[in-house]
Amino acid sequence: MGIKRAIVHMDLDTFFVSCERLLDSRLNNKPILIGGTSDRGVVASCSYEARKFGIHSAMPMKMAKERCPEAIIIKGNSGTYSKYSKLVTDIIADSAPIFEKTSVDEFFLDVSGMDQFFGCMKYTQELRHRIMRESGLPISFALSENKTVSKIGTGEAKPNNALQIDYGTEKQFLAPLSIRKIPSVGLKTYQTLCSLGIKHIHTLQDMPVELLEHTLGKMGSSIWKKANGIDHQPVVQYNERKSISTERTFDRDTIDIVKMRGILSAMGENLAYQLRRAGKVCACVTVKIRYSDFQTKTLQKHIPYTAADHEIIPLVLELFERLYDRRVLIRLIGIRLSHLVNGSFQMNLFTDDSKLTDLYQAMDKIRNQFGDRIIMRAAGLEARTIGRTNPFNGEPPMLLANRRV
Amino acid sequence: MNFVVSSSTLLKHLQTISGVLTTSNSLAILDNFLFHISDGMLNVSASDLETTMNTSLAVEAKDSAKICVPAKLLLDVLKNLPDQPLTFSFEDNFSIEISYTNGKSKMVGFNGDDFPKLPQVENTTSIIVKGEIISSAINKTLFATGTDDLRPVMSGVFCQFSPEYIVFVATDAHKLVRYRRTDSQATGSSSFILPKKALNLLKTTVKGDEKVKLEYNDSNAIFTFNEIVLTCRLIDGKYPNYEAVIPKENPNVLTVDRLSFLSSLKRVSIFSNKTTHQVKLKITGSELAISAEDLDFNNEANERLTCSYDGEDMEIGFNSRFLLEMLNNLETEEIKLLMSQPNRAGIIVPADTDNENEDILMLVMPVVINRN
Repeated sequence: MGIKRAIVHMDLDTFFVSCERLLDSRLNNKPILIGGTSDRGVVASCSYEARKFGIHSAMPMKMAKERCPEAIIIKGNSGTYSKYSKLVTDIIADSAPIFEKTSVDEFFLDVSGMDQFFGCMKYTQELRHRIMRESGLPISFALSENKTVSKIGTGEAKPNNALQIDYGTEKQFLAPLSIRKIPSVGLKTYQTLCSLGIKHIHTLQDMPVELLEHTLGKMGSSIWKKANGIDHQPVVQYNERKSISTERTFDRDTIDIVKMRGILSAMGENLAYQLRRAGKVCACVTVKIRYSDFQTKTLQKHIPYTAADHEIIPLVLELFERLYDRRVLIRLIGIRLSHLVNGSFQMNLFTDDSKLTDLYQAMDKIRNQFGDRIIMRAAGLEARTIGRTNPFNGEPPMLLANRRV
Repeated sequence: MNFVVSSSTLLKHLQTISGVLTTSNSLAILDNFLFHISDGMLNVSASDLETTMNTSLAVEAKDSAKICVPAKLLLDVLKNLPDQPLTFSFEDNFSIEISYTNGKSKMVGFNGDDFPKLPQVENTTSIIVKGEIISSAINKTLFATGTDDLRPVMSGVFCQFSPEYIVFVATDAHKLVRYRRTDSQATGSSSFILPKKALNLLKTTVKGDEKVKLEYNDSNAIFTFNEIVLTCRLIDGKYPNYEAVIPKENPNVLTVDRLSFLSSLKRVSIFSNKTTHQVKLKITGSELAISAEDLDFNNEANERLTCSYDGEDMEIGFNSRFLLEMLNNLETEEIKLLMSQPNRAGIIVPADTDNENEDILMLVMPVVINRN
């Protein structure tokens, strides 16, 4: 048996709300909703005061407003949150031996072996106090033998508290909790398990693993292991991006093909720019559409490695053309570029690539200096609200909407 | 009927045409050789519908016959027999018996009339070309052909005949080779695209000292040399205007020893990204610096070479595979790399030439280097 691991999961409490409160103290102790303000919007984050009304993340904003009409609704500003997230990341990077940032407000730390010198719990408590002192943001954590138990533990520790799950007590700790608390048990799996009469983790623990595998397939054994507090995943400091993507949900479902083609062009143009900025090329393009009845379809195509607008955009439009075959309103469109490698674009003899690469280099230079939206194809002018952040800054992708706690 | 033939002679002939056979034939009959015996001559054919190869040899036979013989069985047994006379006998029910010193083997063939007929090639133009020209043209150009199914014309070699010279061109849109010979001419001007498979077969069968008779029309070409006849269907389509993409002026001229450039590139490219194979050439004064890096693994390599250079300082990126293939397919001691801009095509030509009738030009598109 090797050394017992000590894994910490840290999570900033109601992160977006805490950030807003730092900026405006009048928001303290009031129900606050952050998220899309339109009727289509969902709650991205809400204060504990709002949760009393039965509001939770990912709830449609319309429903949240009905439940708590006096709540203050804030649109949210991902720039501000990223800034605070970076502040906290810097503090953790400064003192932790190995850490993994899994989202804007969540971190895993591997503090194995710290017991010899500091005491794992004492060390992490000190770090937590330092984060709260220096950033002003409340943060909770749990310390245990592995990632899953720590993550579930943090959920139990919240708000603004810490929890240690001693070695050997993981199973007892998990036993009374709802199966919903297990990461990777979503609404669908939860319903499946509920229909089998499984509500609490202790039931899962007592079940033979084969039975779960029979019902849930591969997922079954992974869920069973998690329920028993078994998880050998290491804390990985850096995750290479395997793909970059962007998507857009319309305020109102649409069949305006011209508008959608414009948005897809703008998305393609922006993603191609992000590739070139990071010195990468991609070999697979995927287009996704979701109809108003939530039927979701994707279509992808492999191409020679490229980062050129004139190869990506026409392909995106062609895939969209082939994909959109029902005369039904569309709710969402998106693009993903995958199979990324470091490298640059191989020019073609028979297209006018020399001129175009000159053009891209000039445009990229202007964008680097004055911002993404300063220069673009006219077709994409309408698309104002597509995400335009640099996906290769080593940060996990920013999730504003549809976020699950 | 029966006939007698030397086992090694037959094997030699069968092996020259067995390249036509494929494992995934659309018609089962194409897994056979067609044996056609008449007037003491055995004519053997193999075909995949696109390409057909014939060879003929003298045998001892009294009658004539036409029968399909399973190719793999026949080749396997011949390969394992020492040289000796074999007696083939065919029955009316298409059973085939081969008798040799130690015994005999039997197999079942098919009706020779079921074998696909050769297309009638009419209204042909013909030209006699030296085998050496054909084989060096194929060797120099074939590597540059493309593999993209969506652009079939680029999967073949474009042949252009004119009263002044004959030209062979291959390109995959990233690299291009133009091989021109002035020591062979045609009477009129014409052009066609030869498919890769036929070229590969010619590459292995044309030795160099024979005369090759080439007949062609709009849809087919026939190569006749020694006892072999190769008939192939031409690739239908319009070849891209390659002359238009060859830069007329590339003022920056690098002259470098081919083998030292080649071996440096080989070493440096080991450290390049495994999927893009990109290397960077930086030329300042009379120094050529070759570098590559693979950010994913923190691999990198740098080498320096002395060269003679006439032009502005230059930094240009290439796919090292393309450069290696090109340098490998040249023979001269020194080569010239002519460039204009880091995002314009580079041209590689031999610095000096032993054969004044031969004109080779290789074109390679760079990869864009981030200049920001």
